Amino acid sequence: MYNSGQNQQGMFGQGQAYYPQQGGPGFNPQQGGNPQNPQQQMLLDQPNSFAINNPSNGSSQQRPRTAGSLSSAPRDDDYVTIVRDASSYQPITRERATACKLKVELFYKQNVQHALERNQRRNESETRLQSDPRMSEERKNRQRANLGHQESQFLRLRRTRMSPDDFHTVKVIGKGAFGEVRLVQKKDTGKIYAMKTLLKTEMFKKDQLAHVKAERDVLAEADSPWVVNLYYSFQDSIYLYLIMEFLPGGDLMTMLIKYEVFSEDVTRFYMAECVLAIEAVHKLGFIHRDIKPDNILIDINGHIKLSDFGLSTGFHKTHDQAYYQKLLDKAQAPSAPKTSDRNSVMVDAIHLTISNRNQVNTWRKSRRVMAYSTVGTPDYIAPEIFIHQGYGQACDWWSLGTIMFECLIGWPPFCAEEAHETYRKIVNWQESLYFPEEIHLSHEAEDLIRSLITSADKRLGRNGAEEIKAHPFFAGVDWNSLRNIDAPFKPQLKSMTDTTYFPTDDLENVPDAPAVAAMRAAQQQGLQPPGPGEETGLPFIGYTYKRFDQLNRHGGF
Amino acid sequence: MSQYSRKFNPNDKRNKGGKAPPLPNMPGSTGSFGSPGGGGTPGSSTSSVVTRPVTHAIARPLFMCKPYVNSHLLKGNFKTIVVLPKHVDKGEWIALNTFEFYEYLKLFFGVVFEFCQHCKSMSAGPGTDYYWLSADRKPRPLPAAQYIEYVLTWINNRLTDETVFPTRPSNALVSVPGQTQVIASPQAGQAGQNWIGKEAGFPVGFYGSCQAIFKQMFRVFAHIYHTHFDKIVHLSLEAHLNSFFAHFIMFSREFELLDKRDLEPLQPLIDSFDEKGVFQGLKQGA
Repeated sequence: MYNSGQNQQGMFGQGQAYYPQQGGPGFNPQQGGNPQNPQQQMLLDQPNSFAINNPSNGSSQQRPRTAGSLSSAPRDDDYVTIVRDASSYQPITRERATACKLKVELFYKQNVQHALERNQRRNESETRLQSDPRMSEERKNRQRANLGHQESQFLRLRRTRMSPDDFHTVKVIGKGAFGEVRLVQKKDTGKIYAMKTLLKTEMFKKDQLAHVKAERDVLAEADSPWVVNLYYSFQDSIYLYLIMEFLPGGDLMTMLIKYEVFSEDVTRFYMAECVLAIEAVHKLGFIHRDIKPDNILIDINGHIKLSDFGLSTGFHKTHDQAYYQKLLDKAQAPSAPKTSDRNSVMVDAIHLTISNRNQVNTWRKSRRVMAYSTVGTPDYIAPEIFIHQGYGQACDWWSLGTIMFECLIGWPPFCAEEAHETYRKIVNWQESLYFPEEIHLSHEAEDLIRSLITSADKRLGRNGAEEIKAHPFFAGVDWNSLRNIDAPFKPQLKSMTDTTYFPTDDLENVPDAPAVAAMRAAQQQGLQPPGPGEETGLPFIGYTYKRFDQLNRHGGF
Repeated sequence: MSQYSRKFNPNDKRNKGGKAPPLPNMPGSTGSFGSPGGGGTPGSSTSSVVTRPVTHAIARPLFMCKPYVNSHLLKGNFKTIVVLPKHVDKGEWIALNTFEFYEYLKLFFGVVFEFCQHCKSMSAGPGTDYYWLSADRKPRPLPAAQYIEYVLTWINNRLTDETVFPTRPSNALVSVPGQTQVIASPQAGQAGQNWIGKEAGFPVGFYGSCQAIFKQMFRVFAHIYHTHFDKIVHLSLEAHLNSFFAHFIMFSREFELLDKRDLEPLQPLIDSFDEKGVFQGLKQGA
């Protein structure tokens, strides 16, 4: 992370010894890395090429010089050698230098990116205009001026300092360990968004920065109908803010609480959409790792979108290897509760769930509360994530299998009273995966579930989503028009801020997470909260984001 | 440091007025630093440059020495990120860039702040000191850190002044679909005139404000280069500073935001950038 005073991880390379771009005769350009490394360039179209050099990174070493080059090459008179040493400087100075370096590099990277995208937009618009012979020249010029106006507005937006004061809260619609999600309205435009707030100190302490950055990246980069759109992200000294598209249809978890189980047809629809959504995320180069019914949101037309590429529920805490290990150890320790007896646990849990549907729903409701907690539920996580193995995109297909199981059976395959039991069941999935006999599943459905809930090297989808699409369960699905067909359940909304599909009643019973509560109390007393100062802002570099087409995009509705 | 003898600064003595923020009556007071909200134009108060004769040949400043003078974060033609994009409002372009130069210059100052606290004067090399003009129009020497903090506060006040740098979707600009934009007040009174940023809702004095801001920002660069460049090197930031400064100069050239005379303290560096083709793009392995 970036929290030490030293720059350990530069934007474009790591730990290279300093060396000048245009070494004098005394320099041997074979050492210290190649500044012209093409990977690190961001070239624009010719002839206006412009790129970012491999910056001299935070290493304080002087590049070693060979004795041979010293004696053989005459040196310029104006040649100076400084042995870099910033060790006597205040830590804050070194930290500022690191921040400055990273921010400037990011600034130019983004600057080039902006220029590139601006050119693209202009070219696209120009191509469109050229290809329309019927359009009058006057109209074309008006369109060009229009694009120019949009571009100008975007420039203005980029220097606009956004703050939560720009939004009016309609309702709190979710809570998490690091903050909450609110339905908000932007004061000047009246548009509706979902605003997620995350407490910086907690993110920092709990080592969540990589996650929040990843989420920001996925949301910002994905221009996909399958991913929740991000319009803005900004920060103040206390919180990070994500301003996202509000999906009024709630989520799949709420829907499962309502309907208990889905028919195979309905399940096929949601699973097929999930396949496309997960495929879209994978194509962006990301692994979601936390696909679960709470993260599958329902849009205004009843189609799904994935959210939560970070940790709104604080759930990623559980991705911590040590944390898993502790839970596993607990489950296996001799001193663990008697229920750790493998057979009795399994039988016990299943009897409990089968015998009474109401109890399943009680379990679901408690799961909703759990979703707001720091710990969250591990029910949908692939085993390779928390045993000491690497994991890849295939882990998301495991999650899909567990969700499909839940849609058809009524509970997730490894559910248990205690999280550590669930972990144990997942690790021992070969023994614990059990299809209740009294619930009829088609052969195709069971086969698909079994080929998803299996070891990573055998799992369907490990060679790409096409494998899953070709499974007989999905026979007849038109993958290209899926998002255009009528969804099985379409939300019935009374207004643009209707939160019927968000069971906010539960929320009142959910206490704020301790850190959130403490911050709130401090703010109410008018105290300057002990938020991270300027310097802990370092890890949050690059978080701020503004979308070009936020102005004409159907933000809110 | 090698003792390279070279006359670096001309010996002429100058004391000229410029556009600059006035000295606040009470240093450290949080009140209306800079010209108060919208009232004064940026040119209404001045600061000054004092250049003392330099009698002996002086050492080449570190930032002019190899390899540091040739160290750059960026390569390629700066025009890519400097030239006004097609169809884009010039006012918005200058406004955004001014805002960004300020934001990042602030970072560089933050880096040298530890050392700058000990600077007795706002110097830009042997013989050049920037003085602050107080309310009574007397040039006063100020410690550099204080001078720069005044400057940054003053610039910030400008940038956040909605009457100079509007950010809200202005009511003055009504976009009617399919029709041209209708411009209402506050520009209504000056219907005949034209100025940079007029269409986007910037005031008459906007461009002048930007020039004043650029002039002050240049001085911060000049002080950092002349006084703190060794620290910049120790912190491995010289490539970043050089490229950022080159970008700043390129932008101010493109939009005529700096007077040639004001560039003097860093003219050799700028000349060297020109010589090396920094602005047009370094040749590979040049």
